[in-house]
Amino acid sequence: MNKKVVCLILGIMCLILTYGICVQIKTVNSTNSPISTNNEENNLRNEVLKAKEKYDNKYQELEQAEKQLEEERKNATENNTELSNLEDQIKNKNKLLGLTEVTGQGVIITLTDSPTSMSSNFLDLNDALVHDMDILMVVNELKNAGAEAISVNDQRIMPTTAIDCDGNIIKVNGEKIGPEFEIKAIGLPERFVTLDRPGGYLYKLREWGIVTSLEKSNNITIPKYSGVINFKYAQNEK
Amino acid sequence: MKKGKIVMIVTIGIVCFILALVMSMQFKVVQETDITSIETMREAELRSELSNWKQKYEEINEKYEETSKKVQEYKEKKQSDNETSTLLQEELEQINMGLGNTNVQGEGIEITLTDTEDNKIYADNLLIIVNSLRLAGAEAISINEERIVNMTDIVYITEKFVKVNGQRILAPYVIKAIGNQTYLESALLGNGGYVDELKISGYDVKIKKDKNIKILKYNDEISSKYINN
Repeated sequence: MNKKVVCLILGIMCLILTYGICVQIKTVNSTNSPISTNNEENNLRNEVLKAKEKYDNKYQELEQAEKQLEEERKNATENNTELSNLEDQIKNKNKLLGLTEVTGQGVIITLTDSPTSMSSNFLDLNDALVHDMDILMVVNELKNAGAEAISVNDQRIMPTTAIDCDGNIIKVNGEKIGPEFEIKAIGLPERFVTLDRPGGYLYKLREWGIVTSLEKSNNITIPKYSGVINFKYAQNEK
Repeated sequence: MKKGKIVMIVTIGIVCFILALVMSMQFKVVQETDITSIETMREAELRSELSNWKQKYEEINEKYEETSKKVQEYKEKKQSDNETSTLLQEELEQINMGLGNTNVQGEGIEITLTDTEDNKIYADNLLIIVNSLRLAGAEAISINEERIVNMTDIVYITEKFVKVNGQRILAPYVIKAIGNQTYLESALLGNGGYVDELKISGYDVKIKKDKNIKILKYNDEISSKYINN
């Protein structure tokens, strides 16, 4: 009798374990197979790499052209205070717009998915992950605290920047970013610290199990926008 | 008999331990798999990735031509202060447009959100709509004539007021956006669109397409104190 029960329990345990392993193997197979058997996929992959390389090359050319433009602008204006004034304005406004790299004091906020998501919170995984909306809210609070430049995982926040998700991948400026999320902001650090207040959004995130940190820094670098601003529909009013 | 049982239990224990170890390793592998890596992409993803890079190349190529042209112009015109000044003004105008410091017009949509007894509109609702509009390629946005610029915050102070650019605004909220009318509308109304969701929950939201939307400029000078020169 006793033996039968033991056998039965063992049988069930083995069954569950086997099932678990099968699921795992299937998942791994479907997500992580660098060597594809499909020829067409390999070709496509090559094409993508080529397209990316072409883009990268052009991007470098563009950066050079931009440097040249800055120099020529300087050359053309250096003998005239009125003109060099205008040149200064262009430089400053490009910084504010997000077209040049900027440095200054500020904070770095990091958001990390809950490390316990795999065990204790198994059924409520969703709560323990960082979502696009969470990043949107934190960025909004930074703006409220007087941020002058912000980036999320080195994607510069622009007037046209959307933060959204495609399945479970978060996108900023249309570029995919993954955890952990690093949000940098330039401004008065003392004002940014208020983001950590009880009841604030970071506090809520921590209650959901997300790991957050906020660090003041005197030397923050925020990269420029890597895309292009292009007005197709809007025109300046005459 | 008793010895045999102990051996059995120990064996099973060890086997279970090994299995658990293998499983946790598997979990780790799955977790560490880089979802953004090209190596793991499937055909459909690869295709969209390819068109994505091509499109980005086109954009950046255009920008490159434009920049090269400007370099050329500066070179040619640097003898004349007048002509250089015109060039500088042109560049400034473009930058100001990007910053939101000019009045703009163009096709787009107008969204009107009205408070009802059961459903009040909060700052977060507006923030999400603005984000959806940006995703659909909006080039200029305003809420109750407050221009949304790069560092615009949308927050509520008490349950009663929404603050945009530090200015109090009151319901009804009128959001204007310039961009492709169809894209803008379908981003909000399409399957899972945010305005759809609001409507289903009983909110009062109206969308109007318009061939000629006018959006006012941001009135203050945008400046910085903490960005190093």
